[in-house]
Amino acid sequence: MLKHHLILYMRSIKKYKIPFIINIIGLSTALTCSILIYLWVSDELHVDKFHKHQNQIFHLMETLDFADEKSVSPHTSGIIIPLLVEEMPEIEQATRVAKYPKNASIFVEDKTIKADGYYVGKTFFDIFSFPIIEGNKNTIWTNTNSILLSESLAKNLFGTTQNAIGKTIDFQKKKKYVVSGIFKDVPTKSSENFDFVLSYEERILVQPNLMEWGSSGTYAYLKMKPETDVVAFNLKIKDFIKQKTNNDQIYRTPFLKKYSDEYLYGNYKDGIQTGGRITYVKLFSIIALFILIIACINFMNLSTAKVSRRLKEIGIKKAIGASKKTLVFQYLTEAVVLAFMALFLAMIFVLLLLPEFNQITGKQLTITLDSTLLIALLSITLFTGLLSGSYPALYLSGFKPATILKGKLNTSVGELWTRKGLVIIQYTISIILIVSVLVIYKQIEFIQNKNLGYSKEQVIHFDREGKTLDNNYIHTFLSALKKVPGVVNASCTRNRMTGNSWEVGGFDWEGKDPNDYTQFEHMIAYYDLIEMLNIDVLQGRAFSENFKSENTKVIFNEAAINHMNLKDPVGKTISFWGKQKEIVGVVKNFHFQSLHEDIKPMLISFWPDRLSKFMVKIEKGREKEAIANLNTFYKEYNPNFLFDYSFLDENYQKLYLSEQRIAKLSRYFAVLAILISCLGLFGLVSFTAERRKKEVGIRKVLGDSSAHISFLLSKEFVKLVLVAICLGLPISYVLTNSWLSGFAYNAGTSIWYFLTAGAFVLIITILTVSTQTIIAANRNPVEALKDE
Amino acid sequence: MLLQLKNVSKWVQSGGQKISLLKDINFWVNEGDFISIMGPSGSGKSTLLNVIGMLDTFNEGEYTFLDQSVHKLREKHRSNLYKQYMGFVFQSYHLIDELTVKENLEMPLLYKKYNSSERKALVADILDQFNIVGKKDLFPTQLSGGQQQLVGIARALIASPKLILADEPTGNLNSKQGEEIMETFKELNKQGVTIIQVTHSEKNAQYGSRVINLLDGSIV
Repeated sequence: MLKHHLILYMRSIKKYKIPFIINIIGLSTALTCSILIYLWVSDELHVDKFHKHQNQIFHLMETLDFADEKSVSPHTSGIIIPLLVEEMPEIEQATRVAKYPKNASIFVEDKTIKADGYYVGKTFFDIFSFPIIEGNKNTIWTNTNSILLSESLAKNLFGTTQNAIGKTIDFQKKKKYVVSGIFKDVPTKSSENFDFVLSYEERILVQPNLMEWGSSGTYAYLKMKPETDVVAFNLKIKDFIKQKTNNDQIYRTPFLKKYSDEYLYGNYKDGIQTGGRITYVKLFSIIALFILIIACINFMNLSTAKVSRRLKEIGIKKAIGASKKTLVFQYLTEAVVLAFMALFLAMIFVLLLLPEFNQITGKQLTITLDSTLLIALLSITLFTGLLSGSYPALYLSGFKPATILKGKLNTSVGELWTRKGLVIIQYTISIILIVSVLVIYKQIEFIQNKNLGYSKEQVIHFDREGKTLDNNYIHTFLSALKKVPGVVNASCTRNRMTGNSWEVGGFDWEGKDPNDYTQFEHMIAYYDLIEMLNIDVLQGRAFSENFKSENTKVIFNEAAINHMNLKDPVGKTISFWGKQKEIVGVVKNFHFQSLHEDIKPMLISFWPDRLSKFMVKIEKGREKEAIANLNTFYKEYNPNFLFDYSFLDENYQKLYLSEQRIAKLSRYFAVLAILISCLGLFGLVSFTAERRKKEVGIRKVLGDSSAHISFLLSKEFVKLVLVAICLGLPISYVLTNSWLSGFAYNAGTSIWYFLTAGAFVLIITILTVSTQTIIAANRNPVEALKDE
Repeated sequence: MLLQLKNVSKWVQSGGQKISLLKDINFWVNEGDFISIMGPSGSGKSTLLNVIGMLDTFNEGEYTFLDQSVHKLREKHRSNLYKQYMGFVFQSYHLIDELTVKENLEMPLLYKKYNSSERKALVADILDQFNIVGKKDLFPTQLSGGQQQLVGIARALIASPKLILADEPTGNLNSKQGEEIMETFKELNKQGVTIIQVTHSEKNAQYGSRVINLLDGSIV
């Protein structure tokens, strides 16, 4: 029986190629899309879920409740953990983690490698499942000068992991560490990323203030005893910091957050958890489902549209003795077979598109045909096949043989409206996607051209390390640097210019509200930095070599002056961390964070100890040459260290990575939605043309022109699309505005986006529809009117 | 007696009006009969044939087929009954264009769940009987109308039904082809197959043993 169904199906494919091609294109596109999204979603859902104790691991976070805003901080102070562990029996183990502030230069014999790393507590490898493959887990921290390396870093340094234990490596040319263990490379499904770990105690030696209550450079992770009630625990520790600091730090409320949830649920607004990446996971899952359903609808429309040619077959089969069940089975078989053919094509597409898709999403997705993937593929395909086959199967097999052998078939009004409704939905979705693409594109363009208040072009930066760590050497180094051909100016800072780097409190000024705990961004600048970045000085001056003791002077941005409500600030004194500082200048507000954020108050001070980055402005058009020169220069002035630089404007682009990803993905989805919707419309038009064949024939016999008939047939669909436009435009207006409101600075929307999207869809529709209606209108009326 | 219709009526509702298709039909068929149903267009010939063939239902009356009350049977039993005992021949042959002669012939057997070797044997037999062995791998469109109808009859006969229902079997054929088909029916009837045909042609009606004339849904 199955063989019979298959033979019949294969022959009908051969005979009716066009509907087959439309169906297979629609289904395979939709499947490709769904498979890619499935791979992405499944990857997202598995991030950080590989830790053996993932259900017990929690991140200690803090809610910061300032007068005018509430925020959530992932950091805490280093001192809280030992106190918590001592007092709270619910805690099984705890570890503190501090990130190594920059790329570290590691030296082994003649090799230099730059790597990222963490300072971790002794229980780090017990809590998290990063397996240690060389070295004894119990003795890795016996010596304080221990370092653990990742498998690939060890291989890069020593060529092998075998004899690495016990070897000494030179760290930043400052300190030597002994390798005590090798851990397996951090998997891509981890949100953490580090190539070496040092002990947290080492960090405290370098930066003792980590153990002060006011500091915030530590991440704390707790492994709770099984079945701990975390809600109750959070209540218990609510006032922990307040109590321990004798009500000094009253705005800080610590709480636990499940570590494995952080990746997907990482966004906070006003101290309340509001989505995160899970929003995109949900969004794309829905899009995948939509596209799949739209393609299935197309299949249904096409199958039922071409019903007349199958009617005869159904009638005969029923008369000969086929039961309804047999027929349903036959049509479902056909749909499932088609779905599997589409799957085959889709797999080819997926393999071809995967590199591109990985690039857009920033993932390393691969296809490994394991049982999970196979089951997922089979279920997606069966779902598609059965869904798209169900309606035709039930619809076609339900006919009475006596009626259809006579060639009579009436389509109910409900059926027609169902199809029309489906088309309206398809087009509404397409319009929303098109408008979104336009708005996202405009916003990204806006971001790129936005005047940030400083110039980010032709500026490169690199870490301060090696010899330059000596404060007395900075001056010599910078003077020589400025003489390198191609270099326009050079200075030194601590800040990335692309996000918060250091928020500080502890200010006092005339007329300050004692409850004001507002944190200021703290920028550290060397001479020439403000000039080099073209930051406008509104009052007073920037730091300069011509003045003495600049470290007792500060500069504020406008936002800070407004916040402090100071009149004629230059010359006034404020207190910062207990020391008196004179305000020497006020700079114009500039965007040191992403455009998602408003400009916050900022303090700029001169503090050579805390400088960590060199910034160099190079001449436009001579970038390559300048960098080559800098490389040579660096070898001479900072021997042994690698000249590892990046461009400021590239870092700026990275701030908007997720917007750019959405932009690209939504562009693809918009194209797909339009393509599939057009296929759907094509199906519906051919259905209508078939149904109105007789009417068209009669009109022609009575002398109507082809053009008019074509117009008549098209009108119906253009109306549907107009309805979709009326529905889609307001929805997309609301959606895009809510997306844009996430940017404190946005390009806004313009009526033109909506008009363009509407017109585009309308033109595409008319083109699609007219191909079919013109054919229908030009048919020989005799054929249509001839009774079979 | 093979089948009997007692006071069978059928009507449809159209625009609030009741339109009668069959009125009070009383009619019986014995095994071995060759019956012709005649009448002008719209007199209800095809409807009557469809009712007998259980492809269509009726609103009133009783229908007994081999001592079973068809009007009381459930859809599933009814379809089993006609699957087992009836074969249909259509005016426009109604072969499936995508299947070869052999596959068309095989189709009813598939629905009756014959196994593969039985199907092969029966198809070979019938090809032989109708002298169309050489055409078994051709598609219907490659055959003449007469040949297609021959395949149609062969398909109706393949599962050895007790009753053949033929709706104007020669309506689309030229006179020579028509005669051949009628001769085939006559031969089958001699072998014991019961046949009911609907026809317009007096000449074809002559082949039958009994003629039933219909007018406006009633037997006259």
